[in-house]
Amino acid sequence: MRVSRGTRLSLRVVALGYLFVLLAVPIGVILWRTFEPGLSEFVASISTPAAKSALNLSLLIVAITVPVNVVFGVATAIALVRGRFRGRGLLQAVVDLPFAVSPIVVGVALIMLWGAGGWFGAVDAAGFKVIFGIPGMVLATIFVTLPFVVREVEPVLHEIGLDQEQAASTLGASGWQTFWRITLPAIRWGLTYGVVLTVARALGEFGAVIMVSSGFPGVSQTLTLLVHSRYIDDHNTYGAYAAATLLMGIALVVLLLMTVLDRKRSDR
Amino acid sequence: MITVTSARKNYGPFAALDDVSIDIPSGSLTALLGPSGSGKSTLLRSIAGLEGLDSGTVTIEGRDVTHEPPQRRGIGFVFQHYAAFKHMTVRDNVAFGLTIRKRPKAEAAKKVDELLEIVGLEGFQHRYPAQLSGGQRQRMALARALAVDPQVLLLDEPFGALDAKVRTDLRQWLRRLHDEVHVTTVLVTHDQEEALDVADRIAVLNKGRIEQVGDPVTLYERPANDFVMGFLGSVAHLGGQLVRPHDIVLERDRATALALDAKVADSPGVIDAVVERVVPLGFEVRVDLRADSGERFAAQITRRDAAQLHLREGETVHARAVARSSVVDVDPALAI
Repeated sequence: MRVSRGTRLSLRVVALGYLFVLLAVPIGVILWRTFEPGLSEFVASISTPAAKSALNLSLLIVAITVPVNVVFGVATAIALVRGRFRGRGLLQAVVDLPFAVSPIVVGVALIMLWGAGGWFGAVDAAGFKVIFGIPGMVLATIFVTLPFVVREVEPVLHEIGLDQEQAASTLGASGWQTFWRITLPAIRWGLTYGVVLTVARALGEFGAVIMVSSGFPGVSQTLTLLVHSRYIDDHNTYGAYAAATLLMGIALVVLLLMTVLDRKRSDR
Repeated sequence: MITVTSARKNYGPFAALDDVSIDIPSGSLTALLGPSGSGKSTLLRSIAGLEGLDSGTVTIEGRDVTHEPPQRRGIGFVFQHYAAFKHMTVRDNVAFGLTIRKRPKAEAAKKVDELLEIVGLEGFQHRYPAQLSGGQRQRMALARALAVDPQVLLLDEPFGALDAKVRTDLRQWLRRLHDEVHVTTVLVTHDQEEALDVADRIAVLNKGRIEQVGDPVTLYERPANDFVMGFLGSVAHLGGQLVRPHDIVLERDRATALALDAKVADSPGVIDAVVERVVPLGFEVRVDLRADSGERFAAQITRRDAAQLHLREGETVHARAVARSSVVDVDPALAI
């Protein structure tokens, strides 16, 4: 198909304009507002006790969520691609559930399950606080981020097929050796991308987490909840901007880190 | 020696292997030949342990390996699509089996260098599979399989994904390699020319059964049935029998044809046929004919015979089969 120069140019302008208005402008505004009063103001705003605690909590949740999702995500992907068992179709659908269900519903469901009087309420009664505690926030985050690793690894597993793994087995490699030396390196890009998406979502999750958090500043606020409470409850607009910038900064660092680490490993 | 006894394997209602038994002598290069769906790959993969049998046994050099996983069968396997470890260099690919066996580094390195020299990939150690051609990748895969000193080398359509020129080169090369290394080798192929070219024994499979096992000359000259005959080379239908096109002689004179044919035992008789087309194929000439019965067949004769006959389209000639030719009665159930 031949497209005239005029059409091509206007298509480009429309596409770029769309991206600019919807993505670049909001991010730009936040960055501009954050650094407008100067760097020291920004540093002061993100080093209050509440901000430090929120940063720590967010990182802690990420640090628990990512390994759990990596282990179970890879295992689930392998089961879905290689497995021949009853209920595989059902499992496929269940994995996508977190995409379909509103996060707020996840929060409500967790409260009904783990809260006092819920099915697993005995845990709460025994003094182990799940709801309105860190375990609840971790559970909520794991729930909403569960599909990422599975869905990123699955197509890669399909693509590499069974040949390489079978070749390894004929060369004497055990199941574990094959997994570590052949399967894992082959899926590492899908896995990396799945982890990046998981981190981004875990940092940014709001609806499910706010339902199960007690929401005390300095105790049970993640960075995302801090942005919200600073803006809505404290009318601290600048603080909200600063915390939002920090949040974006962490996500960016994770993305860069994963890319660099992966390049280093494949160079070796 | 590899011995497969009464092997059966079903995929749902489809019988991939239907009571297959075969002996593969040590040091031989045996081809499993058959059309797709004949069970040849399934048989190879069951010898490797990549596929389990529903019933039957597999022994390799006297050891019953029926229930052993591939890791413990002492095999080397080469896949049609190379199965190269894409994230490893050529050197690491070839060394894989040795690394798994925790061989000393120096010993492994020496072995890898030797093998890379044998397969003609010295100087490619630090390349990745993506930087190699198909033929080079397959030679790397062969070196990788040979590195672990397998008792048997199993090749699943190893040249199937390569273009025609590389394919012929590689199979000559495989033949020479086998003459040097002498490892018992089983090769799966659907290409009869490839089987005749490299193998010293051929097993013809069809519909999950072995039709015939033997050396290439026996199979070509004394096929057990019309399937084997039809699969190993071209055939012509002549008076209800299958004959090789180059075993057909054309005569101008009917009396001469009848007299000569009388000396041939079990001959299909003399068939009168009209010349439809004369196709020069270089050294030989293919003559497309139509018998009185309406049946079409082709005869392949030398250039000189064709010149002497002065064949012209539309003329009638008398076709007969030469003595000691391979002739097989057509099984009506399997008529091609």
